[in-house]
Amino acid sequence: MSTEALTLNDVTIDLRQKRILENIHLDVAPGSFTCLLGPSGCGKTTLLRAIAGFTPLSRGDIRLGRRSITHLPPEKRQTAMVFQSYALWPHMSVGENLGYPLKLRGVPREERVRKVAAMLERMELGGFESRTVTQLSGGQRQRIALGRALIIDPPLLLLDEPLSNLDAAIRRSLRSELRRLQKSLGITTIMVTHDQEEALQMADQIVLMRGGHIVQVAPPQTLYHQPADLAAARFLGVDNTVTRQTSDPAMASAATTFGFRTRDALINAPQHPAMLTRKGRVTECVYTGDGYQVSLSTERAELCATSATPIAPGTFAVVQVPQSALIPFGPDDRHLPPLDRQEDIA
Amino acid sequence: MTTSPSPTYSMAMPGKRFPRISLGILLVLPALTAITLLYALPLLRSLVTAFRDNDGGWTTDHLVRAFSLYGRDVLFSIGVVSAALVLIAVISIAIAGYLVLGTTPWAVRFLRWLYRWPLFIPFVVSGQIARSFLSTNGMMNGVLIETGLMMSESAQSFLDWRGLVLTFAWKQIPFVTLLLAGAMAAIDRSHIEAARNMGASRLRCLFGIILPQAAPTLWVGLILSLVAMLSVLSVPMMLIAGNPTMMTSMMAHRITYYGDYGVANALGLFSYALTAVTAWIYLRLTLRREVAS
Ligand SMILES: Nc1ncnc2c1ncn2[C@@H]1O[C@H](COP(=O)(O)OP(=O)(O)OP(=O)(O)O)[C@@H](O)[C@H]1O
Ligand SMILES: [Mg+2]
Repeated sequence: MSTEALTLNDVTIDLRQKRILENIHLDVAPGSFTCLLGPSGCGKTTLLRAIAGFTPLSRGDIRLGRRSITHLPPEKRQTAMVFQSYALWPHMSVGENLGYPLKLRGVPREERVRKVAAMLERMELGGFESRTVTQLSGGQRQRIALGRALIIDPPLLLLDEPLSNLDAAIRRSLRSELRRLQKSLGITTIMVTHDQEEALQMADQIVLMRGGHIVQVAPPQTLYHQPADLAAARFLGVDNTVTRQTSDPAMASAATTFGFRTRDALINAPQHPAMLTRKGRVTECVYTGDGYQVSLSTERAELCATSATPIAPGTFAVVQVPQSALIPFGPDDRHLPPLDRQEDIA
Repeated sequence: MTTSPSPTYSMAMPGKRFPRISLGILLVLPALTAITLLYALPLLRSLVTAFRDNDGGWTTDHLVRAFSLYGRDVLFSIGVVSAALVLIAVISIAIAGYLVLGTTPWAVRFLRWLYRWPLFIPFVVSGQIARSFLSTNGMMNGVLIETGLMMSESAQSFLDWRGLVLTFAWKQIPFVTLLLAGAMAAIDRSHIEAARNMGASRLRCLFGIILPQAAPTLWVGLILSLVAMLSVLSVPMMLIAGNPTMMTSMMAHRITYYGDYGVANALGLFSYALTAVTAWIYLRLTLRREVAS
């Protein structure tokens, strides 16, 4: 089956008289990797389940390629979903788990065995056919669940936090493995995550969600450097905001607030007029591995910055942020200049 | 409790070890005594009685006589119970399956409310209900004739093996369904959703994913139903007048009219054997599953 585009139009979902998702518009290009990113409870899983057919829409339309799948039951949608819990069937062996989707499609036995073996080989779990799923490690289960989803050549792959049950080291290696696999298959993929680093590393396009709405749809670089508003910026690690002063760099003249990341703020660097500068008293200095994270209390705000050397609390210090690292926001807390409509759909 | 006394302690007072072990026995003794007196001894006694003649010697006479006199009833009992079990299994799978997979919320709620009622009705009353429902002039025939689905001449009584099967099933289906629906509801929702996502219809899902995981519970329910059906006296007494009938009827008959405990106990032995075989099959099945996993 060839990979297909996915289009969501005005998707709205109510569960128990409560609006969970409202007015979701989204275009996913064929063969692309899209991440749904957002804080807990914002409706990412609900959106993914709606695409798979487990949550009915109150309004709107979902299209896979040219056909509408809005009213199809889950088993007719041909979307392959990997569940956060993996949902491997405990009464079946690894081989039977992988072969079941093929069995449902009436694939003859020999071909099934061959395909299962090939998939296990691809997942680097060759010869695992007769193992029971309870004997597998978390990472192995994850790969079996992925293999089970991919074995039917689905037009669309849906992943619900597939890596969040794994420890940090496996997660990092599986990230690139998963991305490589996705690229080689060219399958349209939507992955839910609440880990911004994961989304930034893997996605072609990130859908930032909040409270049942889409806040921003953008490629990782754009999202990272031009978050749609202050709240989105905070979610993406912009932990410092300062109110604009007249002495500040003359960029984005309508901006009232600047945001910047701690790692871009330097302590006691040589003074430079093109940088945003604040003075304050050091309240805390902690070692972070790459250097020291210094907290300062300035006249208007608490700021954080990085320093190569430790700085004694109580001393005065100067924070400087290069102009390129400043993110300007208008009086309504939205990014300046306004992002074009295409990227900012909500 | 009695385990691992510290080495120094047992070395210092080796003589204390024995009393400490017997303390453990002392603690389980009340339970053990109760089980022995109330269950094991009567059971053993009834088994022994089946092989004792009037003079206290060993004999297989009772067994032979029981089988020659009541062989037909034994077979009848096995037939009725098997048919009832099949009916119970099929219907409780259907109801429990619908409760788990149904998509019409009000229908699921209604069924959940409805199916439990027979649980609260004693066997005696079930027998009475069945009598008035299934007899020649009973409600079932009445309704069939009223609605024109059947001619009044062809009305017949269901008060035979069919009545027994239906009554047993009617009484036991809610019980097995209750157990089965509980087991099915305990299955992780995502297992079902994963199967549907892979293309399984709801029916395939029921037989491919849900039932295999809930099967041990179904077996338990069926075995308990088997025991219940083999021990009910009131229903066969009320529904069936002549021969052949259930073993329990014959056992009661043997005891009340002849005071013949030997043959009655020999018949009881058949019941034990029947449940034992089923339990053995169940254990075999579950053990194989555990070895496999
Ligand atoms: N079956 C349901 N009935 C009612 N409300 C629900 C149901 N499922 C989810 N919700 C609500 O919908 C909202 C979104 O839930 P969802 O699971 O989609 O969040 P999420 O973005 O996936 O969060 P997380 O990152 O924690 O997984 C939550 O407020 C949740 O309480
Ligand atoms: Mg979720």
